[in-house]
Amino acid sequence: MAEKKVKVLMAKPGLEGHWRGLISVSQAFKDAGFEVIYGASMHPAEIATTALQEDVDIVGLSILCSNYMELVTEVAKELKANKKDDVIVLLGGIIYEEDFAALHKMGVDGIFIPGTPLDDIVASVRQIIAKGKKKVAK
Amino acid sequence: MAESNNGQVSTASGIPVKDIYTPEDVKNINYDKDIGAPGKPPYTRGVYASMYRGQLWTIRRLTGYDSPEATNARYKEEYALGQTGFSIAPDISTPSGMDPDDPRVAHDIGHAGVPIYSIEDMETVFKDLPIEKCSAYLADRVGGLLTPAYFAMAQKRGIPLDQVRGTTANDMLTWSSMELANQPPPEAYFRLSTDLIEWCAQYAPRWYPISMNSYNPRDNGITAVQELGMLMADVIQYCDEGKRRGRVPLDKFCKRFAFNMAANNDLFEEICKLRAARRMLRKIINERFGVQDPACGQFRVHVQTSGSSHTHQEPLNNVIRIAYQTLAAVLGGAQSIHANGYDEAVCLPTEQAMLLAIRTEQIVGLETGVTNTIDPLGGSYYVEALTNEIESRTWDYIKKIEDQGGLLKAITNGWIHREYKQAIIDYDRKLKTGELTIIGVNKFRLDPDKVPYKVPIFKSDRKSVDVLKKRIKKLRETRDSARHAQAMKKLDEVLRSDANSFPAVKDAVEAHATPGELGAAVMKVYGKWTYPIGV
Repeated sequence: MAEKKVKVLMAKPGLEGHWRGLISVSQAFKDAGFEVIYGASMHPAEIATTALQEDVDIVGLSILCSNYMELVTEVAKELKANKKDDVIVLLGGIIYEEDFAALHKMGVDGIFIPGTPLDDIVASVRQIIAKGKKKVAK
Repeated sequence: MAESNNGQVSTASGIPVKDIYTPEDVKNINYDKDIGAPGKPPYTRGVYASMYRGQLWTIRRLTGYDSPEATNARYKEEYALGQTGFSIAPDISTPSGMDPDDPRVAHDIGHAGVPIYSIEDMETVFKDLPIEKCSAYLADRVGGLLTPAYFAMAQKRGIPLDQVRGTTANDMLTWSSMELANQPPPEAYFRLSTDLIEWCAQYAPRWYPISMNSYNPRDNGITAVQELGMLMADVIQYCDEGKRRGRVPLDKFCKRFAFNMAANNDLFEEICKLRAARRMLRKIINERFGVQDPACGQFRVHVQTSGSSHTHQEPLNNVIRIAYQTLAAVLGGAQSIHANGYDEAVCLPTEQAMLLAIRTEQIVGLETGVTNTIDPLGGSYYVEALTNEIESRTWDYIKKIEDQGGLLKAITNGWIHREYKQAIIDYDRKLKTGELTIIGVNKFRLDPDKVPYKVPIFKSDRKSVDVLKKRIKKLRETRDSARHAQAMKKLDEVLRSDANSFPAVKDAVEAHATPGELGAAVMKVYGKWTYPIGV
């Protein structure tokens, strides 16, 4: 039986406008055989409703501003409200190590800082998919 | 050294490089016609006769923090350290044209840049700073309030508009290279920025009404040749428009064009790019548009070290990259330089990073001796051959843009963004194959635990957000509402006509229109642009 194609929504929940990383990683996912919905800049609520409507397996967020804690909190809240919090959440951008634990707790499954080789990102995502989404501690 | 699979050595933009250059490589150069003296057309060696022997470049860093008060304090520190120009990094309200209490900016407000919502805020930012001795660089949204607010501040201080010095950066090439909230289509950028050029040519002749800017496009991954090609196509598009409108003589229209480019890692390519840029601008202005005035077609350029070249891994390595990129800007003859903070890929610059950046420029300028003579690399077989090759490849690239119908069409039809996307894919491939070397990233990469240091991190003070909301609320409540309403009505009418929009924008700002109201006025007439990129 053919493996179901991994479907991923790639989006920027903030307004800071740096889209290069989002394109790089989206393209790497596409090259890896994933089905990529390039959401570009989207409000957290839009990300959640799109994730639900498109029935994606993964939501990939790119944030290059220090407001990521707020934005991820908002996206997580919206995903939950849409009963889509079983989706794998990835976060790329300038993310400080001191926040990793809190982000994982919010439901972020993979965090990737600038300069991470694209192949490594794809490999980690495959591992995350294989392990399955860990249920978030309530 | 960039070496492809077949062993060919080439520059970062893919120009093949020979093992040695000789007189044979420069034999077709006519010194007077192709190179000439600095300060004389075609300006290959520099736009001014004395260059850095007369005056060092302006040390100008893009800065903007939490509040007008905090930014003013930072500017004063920078001024005391010997910085001679100020470059306002505005907060999200300026590029997005949204007010701080707009729910759409709730998560972004107060994280980066200085909030400037009124003439009074502008006055706070420049309080006690001698604006007659310094110049300002305003990264303003088209139809935004930074420029009118700066003009109003200058007038209040008794500086007449025909004396006020500075630059507005509202060029369509730059703004369309970023995806922004509430973003009008490129036609709006083009129309409104041309309006400011026209207006300043008549009323603020010492102001640079546009900074044609390829820095941000370059950070989208394009090469030096593409960067220069887009920039020169931008010049052609604006000159064509000035000529088509015919409301201001073309020599006045193009006299105060300013430029902003990136300095990336390939030292000689970046130097030669700036030398080629000077010669090309003069050719475009003089040969293509027939403008004779030698003061026109002078490529006055602000150069910033490439943010995208700075790495998150081993941030101190960026100190070295920034120093070399600064050197490229200097050997390339820049008029103004922004050396980045080495922590660019980590956070907003800390005070330590800011000080080091200013010192980097001062060390290059005052210790190394590279400013002792003008264009010290002029006449090098390699440098002259590479300058020629970059120019020749750039003309070919401009031809491709013109085949799309010019830069504006190439942006609106998605061609430019396809170029960005392909550039990103190419860059990522080169990084993966090792065709391009970035130390600490794809070569000699260390396990993060093995990096023996951590750098301090700057964090925004978001407590000031509530203050901003209160401030804008107060502004709306205390302004003369009749005057404001009338100014907004007039702005709407003007935006729907062919008339120059700047006087109406200026009146609206003087009537205390907010960034959100100005942004909405433009969006109402032009609509939202669907950003033309995807995978």
